Amino acid sequence: MAAGGNNRSRLLLVILLVTSLFLITLDLRGVSITKNSRSATQSLLAPVQRGVSDFFSPVGNFFSDIKNFGKTKAELKDLKSENAKLRKKVIFNKDTNGQLNKLKGVLDLAGRGGYKVVSARVIGKGSSSTFSQTITIDAGTNDGVKKDMTVMGELGLVGVVKSATSTSAIVLLMNDPTFRIGVRIARSQSVGVLMGEGDNTYTLQLLDPSGSIEVNDVLLSLGSDNNRPFVPGLPVGYVKSVKNTSATLTQEASVKSYSNLGSLGVVSVIIRVPNGGPKDALIPQPIPTPTTTIYVTQSPTPEATN
Amino acid sequence: MSWSRAGFSALILFFFFVVQESAISKIDFPISGFSLYLCVLLGLMALEDRFGAIAMGFIGGLILDLSPSSDSPFGKWALILTLVGYLFSRNRESIGDFTERPIAFVLFVSAGATATLLIFLILGVILGENNGAVITNLQTVVGNGIWTLLFSSALLPGLAALRNYTLTSRERL
Repeated sequence: MAAGGNNRSRLLLVILLVTSLFLITLDLRGVSITKNSRSATQSLLAPVQRGVSDFFSPVGNFFSDIKNFGKTKAELKDLKSENAKLRKKVIFNKDTNGQLNKLKGVLDLAGRGGYKVVSARVIGKGSSSTFSQTITIDAGTNDGVKKDMTVMGELGLVGVVKSATSTSAIVLLMNDPTFRIGVRIARSQSVGVLMGEGDNTYTLQLLDPSGSIEVNDVLLSLGSDNNRPFVPGLPVGYVKSVKNTSATLTQEASVKSYSNLGSLGVVSVIIRVPNGGPKDALIPQPIPTPTTTIYVTQSPTPEATN
Repeated sequence: MSWSRAGFSALILFFFFVVQESAISKIDFPISGFSLYLCVLLGLMALEDRFGAIAMGFIGGLILDLSPSSDSPFGKWALILTLVGYLFSRNRESIGDFTERPIAFVLFVSAGATATLLIFLILGVILGENNGAVITNLQTVVGNGIWTLLFSSALLPGLAALRNYTLTSRERL
């Protein structure tokens, strides 16, 4: 009886493994049925994600705060006093207010670049078990959002639209390991490729071996044909450190992005770009560091007066 | 495993899949994310017999393949979880009834979640996918393992009750 059960299980195992391999082959050959099933799931999930988004936003932020507790311990004292002041001022819903600020930042940047944008709320994040960095936004083809459109945040590039349904879209974030974007260094106009690494660090590879990279160099998007998937002139990040190794033919640098991908509330999808692009109009202005000037006036000594 | 129970299990798994995709994945867990869906699926698989674990693994894998954020080919999760279902059932027979051994259940499910994600990564490399930085991936695998370890103990009574509810009177005997 047990042997019969084992044979039945083995037969089922073989059938299901073959079925799985068949499905993988179909998908790799580009059969649309598999892609359509994911789009259908996305359409189904989008309303739920939208509904849950408001409720879960504070929960997600709570865990995020715990996660960053060690890093921000030093700032805790300052924040406490600031928080007391803010509490008196805040009369609106904090979440809505925060989203409005983000939206204002995004629209400011888009306005400076002359981009026509569609703003959207982030209603979902890709599951960690898929090992891909994605977000779901509540704007879709009904709003003019299409596949391969650039997505920006209040400080610069966020990612690119991976797929879109009528009411929602999935955005591949710039820190996804598969993400690649052509960038130019604003100072030297050297061109390179920026690669996501799955976390908050990015690697810049210069295409020109004689090009120069310096710390704090600003990187702007190079742009693609017909501005898809990338529009030109959008701030991407700045150089954190330069890797000087003689082993590689091209120069490499470690880059930090302007956008904080961990706390995206509102983003904008760029629908249209002005003719010729924004050139260098969007280069972030450096914040002037305050300097202290001390004037020393010599006072007359008692001996001198005598 | 009867057809009706397979269908009911698929519905339950789909419910947890929706919860995972719309709520749990929004929480920014320390270390790395937690997959409630994998935890529930592996928990249910641990309570099944060999035939049931394999079938449940395949159904659960197909549902996970529907994830819109996934870049992997459709069927990859089904393949992995069918294999994991088989490995689960092979090993659980030596442990016995999990409902009487909660610690063994928790360790088994956590080890299973870790192994599943590792197999996913390894298969990704074989298929030529770009999985990103090794350290980040290991952090995801270990983080998920730790969270599964913490949460699976709370899920055991519920999962056992759910399974008993879905059993037919013949299966109960």
